[in-house]
Amino acid sequence: MLSRIAESLFWLARYIERAEDTARILDVNYQMLLEQSQDSYHLRWEPLIVMAGEEQLFRRLYSEVNAENVFEFLAFRHDNPGSIVQCIAKARENARTIRDRISREMWEDINGFYHMVSRFSPRDELVAGPHRFCDKIKFGTHRFHGVTDATSPHDEGWQFLRVGWSLERAEMTSRLVDVQYQNLLDELPTVGAPDNHQWMAVLRSVGAFEAYHRQYHSSIEPEKVAGMLILNSQHPRSIRFSTTEVQSGLRAISGTGQGSYANEAERLAGKVVERLSYDRIEEIFKQGLHSYLHELSQMFGLMGRDIARNYFYYAMVA
Amino acid sequence: MAPEQFEERRKLADLSFLIQGITFTVYSDGRGTERLFPFDLIPRIIPNSEWRRIDRGLTQRVLALNLFLQDIYGKQCILRDRKISRSLVYSCAHFHREMVGVEVPKGIFTHICGIDLVRDSKTGEFLVLEDNVRTPSGISYVLENRLVMTRIFPEVFQACEVLPLSHYPAELCRILRSLSPRGEDDAQIVLLSPGIYNSAYFEHSFLAQQMGIELVEGRDLIVDGGIVYTKTIHGLKRVDVIYRRVDDEFLDSLTFRPDSLLGVPGLMGAYRAGNVALANAVGNGVADDKAIYAYVPEFIRYYLGEEPILQTVDTYVCAKATDLAYVLDHMSELVVKAVGESGGYGMLMGPTADRHTIQQFRNRVSANPRNYIAQPVIPLSRVPSYDPSSRRLAGRHVDLRPYCLFDGQKVTIVPGGLTRVALQRDSLVVNSSQGGGSKDTWILRGEG
Repeated sequence: MLSRIAESLFWLARYIERAEDTARILDVNYQMLLEQSQDSYHLRWEPLIVMAGEEQLFRRLYSEVNAENVFEFLAFRHDNPGSIVQCIAKARENARTIRDRISREMWEDINGFYHMVSRFSPRDELVAGPHRFCDKIKFGTHRFHGVTDATSPHDEGWQFLRVGWSLERAEMTSRLVDVQYQNLLDELPTVGAPDNHQWMAVLRSVGAFEAYHRQYHSSIEPEKVAGMLILNSQHPRSIRFSTTEVQSGLRAISGTGQGSYANEAERLAGKVVERLSYDRIEEIFKQGLHSYLHELSQMFGLMGRDIARNYFYYAMVA
Repeated sequence: MAPEQFEERRKLADLSFLIQGITFTVYSDGRGTERLFPFDLIPRIIPNSEWRRIDRGLTQRVLALNLFLQDIYGKQCILRDRKISRSLVYSCAHFHREMVGVEVPKGIFTHICGIDLVRDSKTGEFLVLEDNVRTPSGISYVLENRLVMTRIFPEVFQACEVLPLSHYPAELCRILRSLSPRGEDDAQIVLLSPGIYNSAYFEHSFLAQQMGIELVEGRDLIVDGGIVYTKTIHGLKRVDVIYRRVDDEFLDSLTFRPDSLLGVPGLMGAYRAGNVALANAVGNGVADDKAIYAYVPEFIRYYLGEEPILQTVDTYVCAKATDLAYVLDHMSELVVKAVGESGGYGMLMGPTADRHTIQQFRNRVSANPRNYIAQPVIPLSRVPSYDPSSRRLAGRHVDLRPYCLFDGQKVTIVPGGLTRVALQRDSLVVNSSQGGGSKDTWILRGEG
């Protein structure tokens, strides 16, 4: 497979995933806000900007952190490279450069998705609130996964897609847990009285609310929520699950067997999977959740860079 | 069918094109907007008997053009026999000295031609307007138009027996495969595209997918030791045949334009050494020169010993003193064209131009006669087309571009071709970049 095509597949999947994750976070936070008192209003929106990693840009564009501004910024702004519409436009642009390599159904799905999203009027959506919009985005990305799974051969190209969306998901979930937890610590006088609503929102944003209840049969406890999002081996949005997916994808590409690695990205993925398989949530909290997640984030960054170096960039050895 | 029903199906077709991304890119607004190529649902029907004549005429023309290119880059018999002047050939902007003496695989230069025909509405006869033997585009619209038509009007196809054209990609692929310098079995074939920003990008990806070959850009290829490779995730992989949709001048920055980033440095070296095949061959532009066009009937007589089946438009070659004098005197009655341009650029429509523009062209032609030809205005034929504003049928001007494939022995032409239509009333301009649309073209089985 051409390096350029592998790279486009990887980014196509990452952008689709980023759009979905942003939509999920936006939707859930907005819904939660409806049940909240007015005084904590501003605090609810700050973390979203931090999570998107575009704090400076936001401050340049807006004077106030409020629901409308955050919604507009994360969903529609063309000058925010991480906004949902921009992610989908970039996903589509990547798909367009490789449309001969993806199934016709995939291309038509992404292209149709893009045209649907571009037809949204930010003005109308701002009035209607993010739920309708975010729901359509989630539906669109789920359909993308379904169409992809059902119509493209699960070959090398598919592995690059898989690595792309899994790596993005692992990063987003770790950022989500980190930022939300940080925020709670800042806000609450005692850690002993956790804000259940906030954690419920976190669970909902990754679609794990029902699964949590099935597993723990208990009220929402921050440690258990964090444990589920970080360490659960079965939930498709947990960090452990996503990283295992990255590892499997990378191994399928290089043809490496269990217990060894062909490149730095595989080594790091293996290392993270090992840690997440054997660490316990109590140990993680002992070390400090923030520093633990920060380390993970750095590893994900390094993996991305090494994948690019191994497979995408061509240094001709003369 | 009621007008409402028709309108409904028309919208269905438009939506289908949009979702499939069958668009072309327009650069005039500075943003490179993607636009739908307007599609007219009313098919154009050409009787089978008439098509057979066109088919024979095009076959003859393709063979003659290929022989001319072989000759001009080889023994140059036609120059020695003084059928065409040496200076006229050598002064073509697209005559490439780099190709002299190169033995192209199987002697094929014109693998794919998209010869433009127009029908003179006075005589009813099809005339050749342009040969397009470099990198003609448009076949993807022909194939997709047909696909959309069969989806939207299945019942009509059941009733009429329309000759199919879906075998084009397979036939093209067969020809490309036969060019491989390492044998056909494991031939690596790629389609070289300038990339996503090229207006015909849709077509490039469409054809690559239909043929199951890799779509590459210049940056995906590298030449090492006279061999062309693709850069893959598992290392370098040799390439045997390149169906290139990049113009000659941009193919190789070491041979042609040094500022080109679209091509592959060293590609011409690999080509000349016979390590890689290119389709179409390099240097075909000489046969597309509008002054050379005037001599193609002579080529047919010279190389094939036959009389041309399809007529050409009378052409005044300004490089000739007598023609020049006539053109300067009759400019307001003629169409004046720059020899190296295509797509309706660099053209003067004498009868509709104002005096100032005519004077400008007169100055240009006098200053550089070699660069211009002139032709009488051909009254294009019209066919029934749907007019969305009145919701009725109306006559609109059309041309026709059939696609001819040449495998070194025989010429294969898919029945029909691209019918371009000037959707504005009375307009003669059918170019897609200037508001033209297209229609499905039907050749019916059997007589009629």
